[in-house]
Amino acid sequence: MSVLEVRDLTIRFGGLTAIDGLNLKVDEWEIVGLMGPNGAGKTTAFNCITGFYKPSHGQVFYKGDDVTKLPPHRKAALGIGRTFQNVGMVKSETVLENLLTAQHTKAGYGALQAVTGSGAVRQREKELVTRAEAILELLGLADIRDRRLGALPYGTLKLLELGCALATDPDLLLLDEPSSGMGPEESHQLGDRLLALRKELGVTMLLIEHHVPLVAAVCDYVYVLNFGKLLAEGDADHVRNHPEVVAAYLGGEAPDALAETELPDDQAALTEAGLAEAKS
Amino acid sequence: MTAIDVRPGVSVKPDTGVPRAAVWPRAIAAVPLLLLALAVPAHSADWASYASFASVFVMVGLSMNVLTGYTGQISLGHQAFVGLGALTAANVIHTNTTPADPFMFGVGFVLAAVAAGGAAVVLGAVALRIRGLYLALVTLIFGGMLADAIFTLPSLNGQDAGVSAYRPTALAGNYAYYLFTLLLVAVCYYVDVCVRRTKVGRGLVALRDNELVASAFGVNVLGYKLLGFTISGAMAGLAGATFAFRSQLFSDKDFTSVPGFNLALTFVVIAVVGGLANRGGVIVAAIFFALVNPLLEGLAAHTGWSDFYGGHKFYISNAIGAALLLQTVILNPGGLGQVIRPFARWFGGHGFSLHDPDGDGGAGAMEGSSVRA
Repeated sequence: MSVLEVRDLTIRFGGLTAIDGLNLKVDEWEIVGLMGPNGAGKTTAFNCITGFYKPSHGQVFYKGDDVTKLPPHRKAALGIGRTFQNVGMVKSETVLENLLTAQHTKAGYGALQAVTGSGAVRQREKELVTRAEAILELLGLADIRDRRLGALPYGTLKLLELGCALATDPDLLLLDEPSSGMGPEESHQLGDRLLALRKELGVTMLLIEHHVPLVAAVCDYVYVLNFGKLLAEGDADHVRNHPEVVAAYLGGEAPDALAETELPDDQAALTEAGLAEAKS
Repeated sequence: MTAIDVRPGVSVKPDTGVPRAAVWPRAIAAVPLLLLALAVPAHSADWASYASFASVFVMVGLSMNVLTGYTGQISLGHQAFVGLGALTAANVIHTNTTPADPFMFGVGFVLAAVAAGGAAVVLGAVALRIRGLYLALVTLIFGGMLADAIFTLPSLNGQDAGVSAYRPTALAGNYAYYLFTLLLVAVCYYVDVCVRRTKVGRGLVALRDNELVASAFGVNVLGYKLLGFTISGAMAGLAGATFAFRSQLFSDKDFTSVPGFNLALTFVVIAVVGGLANRGGVIVAAIFFALVNPLLEGLAAHTGWSDFYGGHKFYISNAIGAALLLQTVILNPGGLGQVIRPFARWFGGHGFSLHDPDGDGGAGAMEGSSVRA
């Protein structure tokens, strides 16, 4: 049984069809990539899957159940974890507090118990801290446990955000550009880390990613979106050499796209002029 | 109130490299604070009464701390919740001239908290849909309408005479009653601490900073906003009942029109000047704003400015509030809590250090809060 199945997903904002009849499937234990040029609808698809947007049409199945209409926090409680494109964490809190916040649904006590300060709460809180520390240890972030987020570099924040997503104890993890802000070396490490996480925690993943070597290294299967429509699917190599995918990324007509990697003279001149202008 | 814990969060003990404070200097430093809190109000019935008034403000301050500080929701109508608590308690007791039955006295407090908490849920339901400036306007109007609609009902407000609310015999003395109010302050303080140290407070702060992130972490944003309003409203109701039994009278004039609006503004100023999401600072600010009028009045009497002060009382206290608010927003966004933090940390057993690892907490709360609209 697939962990995630999206059937005929369509969402419109006014006259704009952001996603048009998307079908995708993520099986247990898989790491699946979602690629596509800017504005293709990748993040919108994430937002539909996690409940932030209500699709105009189509369904989302999680472990065989129709979860299309559930609000985000219910999906988080069911085990759908996610990260955000621009680092989604609680800015005014420390690293440890963020990891505790992310364990919200796993706290194991009710709001009334919390407010009246029962003894069971204190015990559970200790266990939450222990688990948060274990996650920091796993990601090699133990030494920033008590730091506030403001002072941390972007790459660290992205990694920490992954830690927060793990703290929600997900069975399915949706990662929105996990390698953004990372150099080639760091993103290579990230790839190893994702594979290790799957091995150790058994997490199934769907990731939006532009960094092709990372996708090639970790993804079992790749979907490519363009203008809200599924353009191609298959393993990383198949997709990388797919003429329509190349065309979508580099421009031009699909059948000739490969041949056209060298631009005609006038276009090249235009592009160079554009680059020079952008640089100045 | 001697060991103000301003550290946010749970068992977080940052290693600051500063040696921990010894017990005995802290114990010695606690003596003047205890004297201030316990011995000074014993001086006279009037002073005890002022002290009880400070207790009321501290409870409201903690109520604002939960709502504005943690949840990031503004309320310009908090006087209505306080007033509703006072109205409920006075009408439950309805003693005429006899002292209250202790049991009914207790019931009065519980029902005051329930009534104000319930009213706050209604306001919270509105807040689910709107935010920022519009929410501020709605709370302003909600508070005014609630006060004008309910507090002026002749069957509830005892008409011009007000509703009497005599205390039980054991608490008839002002000082005895003040000690009782400290107990209620302790209850509110305890709830505030519990909120902040558990998933409830973390959920509220998360939704204050970013609702999308909060819901991705599994926080039911709508439910938690309502929860924030409920806790805050219940505390305000408790403060209202405390206020009614302090003057042993409910009068609708305290909470409607200009005095009511003035109260609402003072409560917001307490939350901001004290420091958003900083309960220690909020407590200090609440005490200050509760006592500034009697203190200035005493000062004026001693220096021969009584007539002048009596004529300009309203403007003077408002000008002080406005000046402190401006000073806080422009120069010191962490509020009083930021200023007293090194001392509060020292009282909590940390080494004394002006460099604070949690330094930008207050400013962070300010940024995340919708108070900036």
